[in-house]
Amino acid sequence: MMSLSRISLQEVVKKQYSYKFRSYIQVFLSLVFIQMLGILFSFNGVGMAGTSSSTFEIDIHFYSSDIVVIFTMLWAFITSILITTQAYRNDDFAFITNRLSSNLSNMLFLLTISMVGGLTALLSSHVIRILMYVLGRSEYLYTTTDVSEWIIGFIATVLYILICSAVGYFFGTLVQLHKVFAVLLPVAFFGILIVGAGTMNETIIQEGFEFIFKETSLAIFIVKIGVLAALLFTGSALMSNRMEVR
Amino acid sequence: MNIIECSSLTKVYGAVKALNNLSFELQENKITGLIGRNGAGKTTLLKIIAGYYRETLGEIKVFSEKPFNNLLVSANVMYINDQMNFPTALNLKEILNVSSTFYENWNHELADRLFDYFAFQQTQQYNNLSKGMKSTFNMIVGLSARCALTVFDEPTTGMDAGVRKDFYRALLKDYIDFPRTILLSSHHLDEIEDILEDVLLIKDGTKLLHIPVEELKEWAIGVQGSSAAVNDWIKNREVIHSKNVGLDRMYAVVKQNGSESEIQRAKEAGLAITPISSSDVCVYLTSKNKGGIDDVFIKD
Repeated sequence: MMSLSRISLQEVVKKQYSYKFRSYIQVFLSLVFIQMLGILFSFNGVGMAGTSSSTFEIDIHFYSSDIVVIFTMLWAFITSILITTQAYRNDDFAFITNRLSSNLSNMLFLLTISMVGGLTALLSSHVIRILMYVLGRSEYLYTTTDVSEWIIGFIATVLYILICSAVGYFFGTLVQLHKVFAVLLPVAFFGILIVGAGTMNETIIQEGFEFIFKETSLAIFIVKIGVLAALLFTGSALMSNRMEVR
Repeated sequence: MNIIECSSLTKVYGAVKALNNLSFELQENKITGLIGRNGAGKTTLLKIIAGYYRETLGEIKVFSEKPFNNLLVSANVMYINDQMNFPTALNLKEILNVSSTFYENWNHELADRLFDYFAFQQTQQYNNLSKGMKSTFNMIVGLSARCALTVFDEPTTGMDAGVRKDFYRALLKDYIDFPRTILLSSHHLDEIEDILEDVLLIKDGTKLLHIPVEELKEWAIGVQGSSAAVNDWIKNREVIHSKNVGLDRMYAVVKQNGSESEIQRAKEAGLAITPISSSDVCVYLTSKNKGGIDDVFIKD
């Protein structure tokens, strides 16, 4: 009997992870474009205050990389949906894989791109600063950030991006499971917005959002997002584990 | 040692049974041809073997394990069809490089030589290849991976005659260098029968025959003569095909039973005996209807 190649799950996931970095190169290209767009939009400023008297007028514009972070969250959401689609899934099945290893390597990939996206989004504030200095016509002021503050900002940004990609991955898997979700999910999303707008009271969904996202303690925030992302990813993996491919 | 063991395998899509109570075993290091008409269930069977589809009923074991979601099966089965999907961001050479990192027995030298022989360019994109070129490239991947079970599902789709011949030769030569179990599906038995050992013939998801190709060549004989004589002779025999030739002449194909005396009797009755090629046997056995396409055009 010819000896069979035996390969562990860990090995396969590692190989798939490194191959995904090469083959999903367009994910990083789109990140560059989306963040450049975010920087462009940031020139408008994220807020404005003004005061004036008869002899003078002050306009204060606030600039930050918030828009870049929001764009990056959207990018993570869409990218995650994209890699659940049939074409990407079938790419995995061109080589050694099973559904679990494919999901695990996707999750590792998404975690990595969330970190890359978070880092570049934060660094974009420096780009905005330089561009304001060079191109801005008025006086430009900025405060320096502590390293500790910067690290907290980085962790929080990465977690926001990660949760977006976990939701995207979950939605993408649902759509792969049954096409009806492609209609159902957007309808549900906008439906909730409308329902929320109609009532003066906060809906459960809004409360849930606030419970998760308006957390002031970093440690608790990490736990909340971690648990939620783990639930979403596990749910996706379980749902797709019996899916037929190719 | 059986590579594939399959008993009462059934696969249902909605109301259609693509596979219906299929049972067979595949031995190690044989080249087996999976033959059947369009829609007979060939691809469904092969995809279940590769672990892509889940069986509805029955049992399937590949390397003594259930193939669905199985890493051992995935690592040792190469499934090649004309709808292969390779990452669009990689060029042909990079696809080969990625494959080599995955498959333990991957023969990169063979891959390179075949790559050059079929005049591929390193920087070409898989999706820009023509249909036949895609099939050729798939074949390179399929052969170089040297998996213990190599499955080619209609591998020659779109290939021109020259490349098809090259493919079968390459397959045979690499099989001799590195014997492994090969399962080859095709509708053209005449093209592949020279390299096959066994034939597995399926129709409507069930097994018709699983015999060595040599036996298939002598499985049936054709008789032609006057209708009365032919009808008399084929009485009590298994007729797999018959048609009228002219007004009162008839042609029938019957299963061979090896009886010399009956052949003698046929010759005495003035019947012409002809051998039936194995591919014709398959066509007759798997035909879905009595008569032929001619009957469609006969108006009452």
